[in-house]
Amino acid sequence: MGALIRIYTLAGNTLREVIRNRILYVLLCFAIVLIATGVVLSALSYVEQERILQDVGLGSIRLFGTVIAIFLGVGVLHKEVDRRTIYTILSKPISRSEFVLGKYLGLTATIWLQLLIMSAAFALISWLAHAPLGTGHAAALLLSGLEMSLMVAVATLFSAFTTPMLASFFTAGIWVVGHLTRDLRQLASHSDVSAVRELAVWIHRLLPDLESFNVSIQAVHGLPIEGSEVTLPIAYGIGYASLVLILAIVLFERRDFR
Amino acid sequence: MGEQAAVGTRWVQLVAALSFAALTVVSFSKLPMPIRGARGDLFIPRPEVARIASLGFEALVADYYWLQAVQIVGGAQNPTRYAPLIGGLIDVVTTLNPWVGHPYRFAAVWLIDSPESVRQANRLLERAIEHHPEDWRHYFYLGFNQFFYLEDNEAAAAVLERAIELRGAPLYLKRLVARLKVQADGLETGATFLRELIATTRSRKARAKYERALDEIETERRARWLDQAREDYRERFGRDIETIGDLVRGPDPVREALPPEPHGWEWILKGKKRRLVSSYYGHRYEPQFHRTERKRRKHWRAELLEREGSGR
Repeated sequence: MGALIRIYTLAGNTLREVIRNRILYVLLCFAIVLIATGVVLSALSYVEQERILQDVGLGSIRLFGTVIAIFLGVGVLHKEVDRRTIYTILSKPISRSEFVLGKYLGLTATIWLQLLIMSAAFALISWLAHAPLGTGHAAALLLSGLEMSLMVAVATLFSAFTTPMLASFFTAGIWVVGHLTRDLRQLASHSDVSAVRELAVWIHRLLPDLESFNVSIQAVHGLPIEGSEVTLPIAYGIGYASLVLILAIVLFERRDFR
Repeated sequence: MGEQAAVGTRWVQLVAALSFAALTVVSFSKLPMPIRGARGDLFIPRPEVARIASLGFEALVADYYWLQAVQIVGGAQNPTRYAPLIGGLIDVVTTLNPWVGHPYRFAAVWLIDSPESVRQANRLLERAIEHHPEDWRHYFYLGFNQFFYLEDNEAAAAVLERAIELRGAPLYLKRLVARLKVQADGLETGATFLRELIATTRSRKARAKYERALDEIETERRARWLDQAREDYRERFGRDIETIGDLVRGPDPVREALPPEPHGWEWILKGKKRRLVSSYYGHRYEPQFHRTERKRRKHWRAELLEREGSGR
């Protein structure tokens, strides 16, 4: 129980600290401006304007959400080490695992908060443009949030053992590859070399399958989204993020701060 | 002294800022802004590559290419000139986001400069049908391309027949299918199709229209019998008939009697081409084109022949 309170306190402090960061607001403003840009872009098409408006809106949310997740995640642990506040915190009865978890949960709360703000902007613009909104959109936004939470976990992992610059490169790389693993597996399945096929399968298994969190097209077109298309990615996302965090904790616990 | 220098520096900054602002505004207003696609420097990636490279933003990338296609058509005097470009763009759009609707029909409208373009439009329309099997319009455009440009009435009838029971499909589609079947498979196939429609429809208005179409087929049957007689006349006498009556007149007529026009009207030779028709209908039982459509089709064929002739 005590551990939970400590994690909660750390998460709260992280949230307060992060929302004081002005760059976050700049990114958020950019995202909202881009969502609104959908109105201009859709006007360039003489048909299916609502679709374009929502494609741009959901795309902007996913893009900026991921950028913010990486931006916040890569510095999360390094900043404490750099400012040497880590010594003060760890001198208190707080374990390193609690510290990592608290930081992660604080950042994730920030991510969901900014997702909420961007979603509200998206919903408002869709409503003003008479574009349909349904449960599909809610599912798309929920899964986007989960993808961002997963990216925060990945960024936290890299932040546990390297510099913010390298961590951002690695996290961005994982994000890019995470969107390609399905295609890679499919392409490799046509290969005559069994080792290539196996390698592609293992890459797909080991790296996050970020395309599983993408139901934007179905949402915008009002196509049916099966329950399993939402619940399974949620389970997968939670499971994967937890594994990444455990790895981050292990690495962070082994780190020598002297 | 220091204050004076500071004021001087501020003036220099202001003048520099105004000068660069003026330079920016003037040069911006004179920037050439041709449509990239129309200029020919628009890079169109291979659809599969575009899909992989879009990193989960397929819908956004598809929208980008769709807007490019719209700009090309909107900015060009003769958009069909850009058919290969439009075809490439729409292929990318519909590979990235196959659930779009209008781009498929857009392709069908503009990919008409050559049989290759029409075939490409048809491939896109088949993709549309795969993703929107309940939308009759894609079958309609595909069927139209088949009979209007590719002149494959059998394929057109097969495609349109799949659309006739779909929601929103216009009533005339069934009668068009009957006409195409007549062209492709003969009168009896069209008549059987119409009899089936008459037996299954519950709408009195629709039934009346099918019965009229069936009546047209009966008239067409007799007209074709007369066409054959006319052909025999030509063979025997080395010239065409002056009037329909020539078929039964003279010491050695090609037929003993003329079949009566089913409505009590008469058979006439119509227009410059002296086509044999019933005066009741004034035309033969075949797909009918509006005058402008007929002109367009003629023009299209002439252009094709010219292109084939010049080896382009």
